[in-house]
Amino acid sequence: MMAPMQLGFARVRRLPLVLFVILYTVVTGGPLLWVATMSLRTTAEIFKDPYGLPSPAHWEKFADAWTKSNYGTYFWNSTIVVVIAVVLVTAIGAMAAHCLARYSFRGNRLVRFLILTGLVLPPQLVILALFQILLDINLYNTLAGLILVYVATHIAMTVYILEGFFAQIPQDLFDAARMDGYSDFEIFWRVTMPIGAPAIFTTVTLNFIVLWNEFLFAVVLLTDDDKRTLPLGLMHFTGSHQLDVGMAATGLMIAMLPIIAIYAFFSETMIKGMTAGAVR
Amino acid sequence: MAVVTVDGLCKRYRGAAAPAVHDVTFTVADREFMVLLGPSGCGKSTVLRMIAGLEPITSGTVSIDGRVVNQVPAKLRDIAMVFQSYALYPHMTVYDNLAFGLRRRNVEHAEIDRRVEAAAKKLGLAQFLKRKPHALSGGQRQRVALGRAIVRDPRVFLFDEPLSNLDAALRVTTRNELIKQQHDIGTTSIYVTHDQVEAMTMGHSICIMNEGKIVQIGRPLEVYRNPADTFVAKFLGNPPMNLLKGRLETQDGRAVAHLAAGAVVLPKRSAAALGRYIGRDVIVGVRPEDLYESAPAGGSVEVVRLPARVVAVEPLGAETLLVVTLDPSNEELIARIGRDTALRSGDRFDIALDAAAIHLFDSATTKAIVQAS
Repeated sequence: MMAPMQLGFARVRRLPLVLFVILYTVVTGGPLLWVATMSLRTTAEIFKDPYGLPSPAHWEKFADAWTKSNYGTYFWNSTIVVVIAVVLVTAIGAMAAHCLARYSFRGNRLVRFLILTGLVLPPQLVILALFQILLDINLYNTLAGLILVYVATHIAMTVYILEGFFAQIPQDLFDAARMDGYSDFEIFWRVTMPIGAPAIFTTVTLNFIVLWNEFLFAVVLLTDDDKRTLPLGLMHFTGSHQLDVGMAATGLMIAMLPIIAIYAFFSETMIKGMTAGAVR
Repeated sequence: MAVVTVDGLCKRYRGAAAPAVHDVTFTVADREFMVLLGPSGCGKSTVLRMIAGLEPITSGTVSIDGRVVNQVPAKLRDIAMVFQSYALYPHMTVYDNLAFGLRRRNVEHAEIDRRVEAAAKKLGLAQFLKRKPHALSGGQRQRVALGRAIVRDPRVFLFDEPLSNLDAALRVTTRNELIKQQHDIGTTSIYVTHDQVEAMTMGHSICIMNEGKIVQIGRPLEVYRNPADTFVAKFLGNPPMNLLKGRLETQDGRAVAHLAAGAVVLPKRSAAALGRYIGRDVIVGVRPEDLYESAPAGGSVEVVRLPARVVAVEPLGAETLLVVTLDPSNEELIARIGRDTALRSGDRFDIALDAAAIHLFDSATTKAIVQAS
């Protein structure tokens, strides 16, 4: 007698959650779908019927964006900057996190504090100083300069995530490796890195997504058109007097594709890294 | 094969009021299996870690075969250690876990294969070599941890409570396996545990520690029979030794321990050593197995009877534990008696005590006064 009632009650209780999930999907997936349809339509078609379906689908717009609108260069620039910055920030961040989590040395807390203050500094606060520094060292308006800035500004979050994970790895594993004859760096490379892989994937994915979309530093620190990254390239379609909505949508889709691909590949590992313990 | 000597070893952590390890000195002979036994936090694991080279030494020396190794890094001491958590690398297969230490030492591939397979065969792990640790049971993981130590063929084995994560049944099996392995291999071993059964059954010798200091070193039964103080008396033995307040007097030239519940005439042979304790308070210790429901047949035991009341009867199958209070002092005693008893909670009876098996301790220092015969 009670079971069907309980079942019904459980469904009612779950209703708000289901509604929330549906709403969230509409809010996030809706605009994505809309941009995807617009990317295959011309601006004229869009102004005529903003919510219409692509008929016919203008696939040639992707080729146009890539060639005529210099998207190939922006994409390549973004790839160089983001891949190098993510590799550097992961390598440096992982080593720093390993040291902070594993060794108790004089000044350990101070170093951690200084690194983690980077989490609370808004980018607007440091941008003028960075601009001046890059000018002084002749790295203003260079991809190398932007890479350095990206590494510096994302090291805090990387260390924060990795240190929390590395600290959970039992000390016995490190002691065992020491007794097996491995040096400190070998232990980092052969024990910490493989065991910490889920957390490292997490930081790689997060940093990649954030840096791929980064606009503020790029717009201030790069001026030449052939050095621009994808988010700056999108501005091309947003003139002061007109807006090429159709091409902007196509550009957005090109910019989004790597992010969607990365998330599709690494989302499961990333969620594991954010929720699981170090050693199961 | 090696002799390990620890001399005046001290460890003081920064900011700590008392040293974690204080003036610890012992020698483990070649092929000997020594057990460091003590309660949690007594410093036994710290001693082991200092021997391993994982913990800096505040003062004192650790020597292996006469050579002081204080400044020698862990990897060069040729010591293998089995950890409480097993410390298996979760991302490696059993084979890789076993081979990890050998690879670092640039042992040839063929030799690594040979040693890993031999160890795996010896420990019954041959069919698990391709598995990762998470796919193994607790007992199998423990064997991998042991195998990792064995393949290195070190001079010294260190064990840090390696059985404490196993369930009771598996612990007994693995304990016997460890004893057999140590017997076969014969490597000098130091084994840390807080489990007295492990200490009694595994060690050639036991070193009992408390509050960072060594309390007693000796062969297991020797320590059990002649505890150096009340701490060892209480720590070794389950249930622990019963301790009662008493006063030593003489009566007709014989030493008598006056308990609140009655007088116990002590065997003559110990009276001479008691001279300076006559007329003073002492602590009287009686093992639960030296208490009887009724005097054993044959008259081989010199029995004293004390009035008691049964508080609880705990039948364990093979034996029964009897919790009693003595009249009139209300001091509690635990007796280990035969499995068949008619006694019930609340019953009054005269409990029999083997006077020759009594232990005496100085009530001020808690040190043993005279060895029970």
